[in-house]
Amino acid sequence: MAMKNGQIWETRPLEFWDKAKELRAKWEKSIESKEMVVGQGNTGNPGDWARAFPALTIIEDNPRGSTIAAKDMEFARVARLASEVRGWGREICGYHGVLWGTQFLGYQADGSPFPHRKLVVPIPCVCDSHTKRGIQCRDFGAVPQWQNDFTMYLGAYDAEREVEMENHKVYCQLRVLNDIERIFGQKFDDDKIVELLTTYSNVKEYRKEIFLLQTSVPAPLCAKDLYSFYTLGGLLKIDPAELEDFWKSVRDEIRWRVDNKIAAVGTERFRFMEAHPPQYSFLKYYRYLEQYGAVCIGSQYTNFTAAQLERKPDGRVDEREYPPRRDADEYKTREDLVRNSPDSDVRLPHHFKQDEYERPYALNEFADIYNCDGALFGTWRSGIGCTFTRKEQAMRLRKEGYSVMTYEGSQPGDPTDLDEKRFLEQLDCWMETNGLVKYPD
Amino acid sequence: MITAGIDMGMETVKVVILKDEKIVGRGKNLSGGAKRASAAEAALNDALREAGLAKADLSKIVATGKGKYDIPFADSCSTEPITAAKAAKFLCPEASTAVDVGADETVVATLGEDKPVKEMAINEKCAAGIGSFLKRMARRLEMTQEEISALPPKARTGPAVNDGCVVFAELDALSLLNRGVSPAEVASAVVDAAAIRACMTINDITNPARDCVVLFGGLTKNAAFVNALQSYAELDFVVPAEAEYAGALGAALVAADWGSEIFYTKKEN
Repeated sequence: MAMKNGQIWETRPLEFWDKAKELRAKWEKSIESKEMVVGQGNTGNPGDWARAFPALTIIEDNPRGSTIAAKDMEFARVARLASEVRGWGREICGYHGVLWGTQFLGYQADGSPFPHRKLVVPIPCVCDSHTKRGIQCRDFGAVPQWQNDFTMYLGAYDAEREVEMENHKVYCQLRVLNDIERIFGQKFDDDKIVELLTTYSNVKEYRKEIFLLQTSVPAPLCAKDLYSFYTLGGLLKIDPAELEDFWKSVRDEIRWRVDNKIAAVGTERFRFMEAHPPQYSFLKYYRYLEQYGAVCIGSQYTNFTAAQLERKPDGRVDEREYPPRRDADEYKTREDLVRNSPDSDVRLPHHFKQDEYERPYALNEFADIYNCDGALFGTWRSGIGCTFTRKEQAMRLRKEGYSVMTYEGSQPGDPTDLDEKRFLEQLDCWMETNGLVKYPD
Repeated sequence: MITAGIDMGMETVKVVILKDEKIVGRGKNLSGGAKRASAAEAALNDALREAGLAKADLSKIVATGKGKYDIPFADSCSTEPITAAKAAKFLCPEASTAVDVGADETVVATLGEDKPVKEMAINEKCAAGIGSFLKRMARRLEMTQEEISALPPKARTGPAVNDGCVVFAELDALSLLNRGVSPAEVASAVVDAAAIRACMTINDITNPARDCVVLFGGLTKNAAFVNALQSYAELDFVVPAEAEYAGALGAALVAADWGSEIFYTKKEN
């Protein structure tokens, strides 16, 4: 294979993309007939209620907002203005501002009516912008709201407290499910969730292995792939057997790439991590840094979607352990389902956003596991959950010898505050201080 | 080997000619706004004249500074933390940190043992333009740069202006004037705010070395600012005579590949 300028590793397109796109299209087709729309709730996990409620689908603010911003920035700007004139200023995450504005306008980028929600189930979040999802929706449409509440505790581990905290989360979810059944007359199909949980257990091993393989040098996937990968979360709702086959094929391909040193980016010679969603126009700066041989190997935001790896006391890297789930045939009640759901809000004590709060050195461990040389952290004026602790994390990494650059960027989905020229020049500084020169075109 | 370094800043362009590791020529000009290339050429010609050399004698020209990409006759560019680090090591071999406070940017670089820069920090976007701001405020307050520079240290309890954003700082300064605060006191408050903002960039570095910190940039000519910055950063800066030309000197050193034996310049795969 002919090597391009600066290319160190062989690289090839990912073969599973066509299948991934096909599955995604199939899922989108499958929800077209659903009539009820629920606002921000629990999504991206197999315990997703939408699968079990026959007429219910979920409109999540973040994926919708990011899709609008990516596809039609002019419309996104109009939508953000519509949001701002109703008092939601630029301290709100760009994804949210865009989607809320679309709701206020009443139409979408293609002119079709906005799919107003029939009910909302906001979740608490360490990010204040996220906690406001649902509030504006309820106020706008006078729709019922349930709060999927859970508590956070940052002190020392206390088994008794943990049990109570988990009970609280579980009973909140049960109440919401039962209320939706009672009020809207929809039957929640428990068997569909059992089926999905079983599939999840099966694909989980594949997903874990993929991210263990991602620690390899050269990285088989880069952040550009991972953000596409991110959208596959929704595929958990497709036919379970097809889903399992797909994840197996992904695992096999990644394993093959690692065995044969096939890189995501052929110029890889400097690996960096990020923490949370990148700023607007991320593809541009990833490609810019690739000219220096710098590759983003992911972030908690991307890599935690599949597996949270940790360094074990014996030095090996493996997935963080959680209380074992029961086998599907042991699910006797709906409470069993909810309690054993892999939903991060119910079971996982270290959701990617909370991780840094609860474990101050979480990002140091991530950098170590993924063999990073450095880190790139954006700080922006909104979406506090995305930037909180960023400077402190940068300092902790620097103390360990990692090369870290912090910058002021735009927020996700909103380029308003981005000074692109200044940002790219800062990247030049960062690269040159690491002894890296740009490969000639 | 004869090389030239050009530091194309927001306010001024500086040029240094380096011959066998000695500075033989210097040139300075206003940065020329949209005509940076011709401004740089004029400064280069001045430096060559002082050195008694012609452009053809130069082996290499390297540009740095905010307008570095706007100089078409430069052979290559180098970024500000690298040139600051090289200049610091050249002028002060025991230097451990370089701080460059210019019209637009504050750059802090700690010098590495195996590479020119161990850590670097650049001011936040809203803290840009400290040097330009001080110049503008001097005009507003009808004071000369020399008068600003000669200001006594501000009392910590005296009038203060916003130290987060120069736009707010300017509004605060005007409010103080309208309340009858003297221009000298307002100027002290403005200088103090600028020093606090620059200090924040220094604090972005994990372990700012406290043994030998070299201060560069146009603001080194403002003694009141330097004193205030020393006070807030709790550092005693070394301010070399060539402080204003340090960026250009660093670029000339990069052009001469100076310090290769000291610095790690290429990452091995």
